[in-house]
Formats: sequence, C-alpha cells, structure tokens
Amino acid sequence: MIRLVPFTAGWIEATRVFNCRVAATGFEFPLQPAEGSYLAVDGNAVRGAYMLRPQCFHLHGGEAEEVAHYRLPLSEGAVNRAYLSVGVQLVRHAMRQQPMLYALGMGGMANPLPRLLAAAGWRLTEVPFFFKVVRPFRFLRGMQHLRRTRIRRLAMDLAAFSGVGRAGVRLIQPAVRGALEVECIERFGAWADELWRSCRGCYACIAERDAATLNKRYAEPKYLRLKVANLGWTVALDTQMHGDAHFGDLRVATIADTLATPGAAGEVIRAATAYLERRAVDLIISNQMHVAWREALRASGFRQGPSNFVFAVSEPLASRFDDSGQAHINRGDGDGPIHL
Amino acid sequence: MPASITERVRVIAADLFHLPPERITEQSSPELIEDWDSVQHLNLILALESEFKLHFEPEEIDLMKTIGDVSALVAAKLGHRN
Repeated sequence: MIRLVPFTAGWIEATRVFNCRVAATGFEFPLQPAEGSYLAVDGNAVRGAYMLRPQCFHLHGGEAEEVAHYRLPLSEGAVNRAYLSVGVQLVRHAMRQQPMLYALGMGGMANPLPRLLAAAGWRLTEVPFFFKVVRPFRFLRGMQHLRRTRIRRLAMDLAAFSGVGRAGVRLIQPAVRGALEVECIERFGAWADELWRSCRGCYACIAERDAATLNKRYAEPKYLRLKVANLGWTVALDTQMHGDAHFGDLRVATIADTLATPGAAGEVIRAATAYLERRAVDLIISNQMHVAWREALRASGFRQGPSNFVFAVSEPLASRFDDSGQAHINRGDGDGPIHL
Repeated sequence: MPASITERVRVIAADLFHLPPERITEQSSPELIEDWDSVQHLNLILALESEFKLHFEPEEIDLMKTIGDVSALVAAKLGHRN
C-alpha cells in the first residue's frame, strides 16, 4: 500500500532508482531531502514525489498570507499504469498539507498535470506570451520553432533575403521611441520597498516583491536589474541560445519580472524594451498575466503568441480572487526565470 | 456488501468511461479500460464522493485497483462489510 512520507536521507537511493524508472518523462526529482518534500512510497520503493515551497502572497492589498507552490509532482503512473493513482494521491496529500496552493508553468494546458489539477477543481489560466522581433533577418533565419517544415523554411528565407520580412516586422513591431532611460542597478534598495508598498494593493494577487526577496532571487550576475525612474523596475535576461529547440542560435531577451502600479506599466515596459533593443538582441519575449502589463507590451510593439505557461490555483486560493487577469504573475514567480 | 453499492459504482464508472454498464465488472481495472487514466481516476473518486457523500484519504486511493476494490472500499467507508 502506498504511503506518503516526508523525504528524508534514508530515501535518497530509492529516489535515485525512481528517477531512473521515470526518466522517460524528462523530469527527475531532486535528491536533496528538504522540508516540504514528500514521497509516495510502496514498501522500499518510491513511486511518486512532490515539493511544497511556502511563499507569501498578498491578496487585494492585504497582509502577507502563506500559500505554497506545488512543485515537481512526479508519478510513476506516467510510465506505468499500475501506479496511475499516485498522481491523485500526491495532489490530495498536498491539499491536506496546505489548501492554498498554486502551480506554474507545466508546459501547457493539454499536459497530464494541468488536466489533473483541472479535474481536482483548480482554476487554470494561461499566462499570455508576448514577443517582439528586434532583428528580423536573424529571427527569420534562426527561429527554429517556426522553421520546422521545408515550405516554412523556404518562405522565411525568402522573406529574410528579399527584405520583405524586415519591412513587415518594422511595420508591425516598430522600435520604441522616446522612452525613459533605465538605470542598471546592482541591488534593490529602500526605494524598491517603497515601490512595493505602493504597488501591492493594486493587484488582486501578487507574490512578495520587497527588496530583500528580490535581492535574494535576482542575485546572479546574469540578471539585468533595470530601474525605471521612480516608476518601477524590470528584471530581464539577455541569453545567447545555442541549438535551442525553439530559438536555435538566436539571442533572446526576456522581460522576466516587473513591478509598477498598473498605470505606470506602459512607461516601464517601453523603457525596458528600448534598452533591450539597444542591446541588439534578436528577439524579446515576456509572459505577463495582468491586463495592464499585457496592454503595456502591446503598446510597445509586442504581439501575443501561444502560451504554454499555465497559472493554476487550488479552489481555496481561487476563491480569494475572481479574475486571474487582475493577478500579477509572470516568469519571476514560481521557480523564477528558468529555461530562459 | 449490498448489491446496490456495487451497482451504483458500476453505473458511475460506465458513465465516466463511456461504456455500457454490462461491460463494467468487478475485475475492471485501468489495465482493461483504456480511458482509465490518472485524470479519470480522479474523476471517478470525485463522482463517488459526490454520490456517496464521503471523502477518500490519499492513502485509500491506492486501494482502488479494480471496480471490485472500489465498491468494497465504498462499502467499508459507509459501514457495510462483505
């Protein structure tokens, strides 16, 4: 009979063997026992695992409330039908530990986990994906995701070499003009706390974004921390891809995280976009849930594309805010900017 | 176990898996019913909880290997015994 137990050191080897059995899923469970990590065990064998990471959310400007990020649920049922109940057991067990749960990413609505969460009564919403082509020639020649068929490759090469692609992109996605200057900062200071206090009440749901949280989350040098006057900030990435399945060898910038009042979102995005355009990246992308940030991206020439980044909230958390479009959710949430 | 419980479980399962009730037997399991995946397993649990006004704990869910197991578990939780 399968039992749910905390992940302790004694289970590391069995978890390693479990990871081998579920390798076909493309995921593996971290082998470091930690508080909030649980295993579904059957005798001496591990058949499933998940993590809960506590986090503070502010709902409608209220005080911080503890929720948990439901992370990396992995079930042997994905590779062996004899264990298909494990996924259900994991989510039910997680709900028993902390009813206020969310999950993020998950690769799209059609995948097994989002479907399971939907069946469990969670509210699922795609976090809209936006893109802006900065260097049309390189984009047309290098965007592997769009170059999957011979016909498409031919059409994109034709558009690239004839100049039609460049003209079209410039028409649809003109470069930003007259934006505010950004200041590249090393750390978030007291001003970021002040901004956080003035902004958090503007959103139906927002994760903690005070200076201490930001300095911890965005400590690595790869992050571009961009302050836009006293209006807000963004955290961006400028990544040279190498043989990426979607982006090939393109240089891709990501506006990963943002904060400002909804009214200032437009100026903040314009400034960040102009800065990234000057860095001569090939493409800028962003996932933003809140309507004001979506409009801000559109106003700066971004276009919406299909999203595989899903925001899922359990029923008790969903009951606290009706409209996910009023929540401030982006790539800075959950595990932070990964796979970028 | 009262026959009515088995019968009600079979009707729920037949509805869920889009099969005629006579195709659902005590031996029916995920190995024998193609549509019985993890999502449908959860849907079956939710349907049973709604029908019989009970709640399954995570550990109990593992006991539901066949329709016969499911019926026995429901009966046990309702206080009926084989």
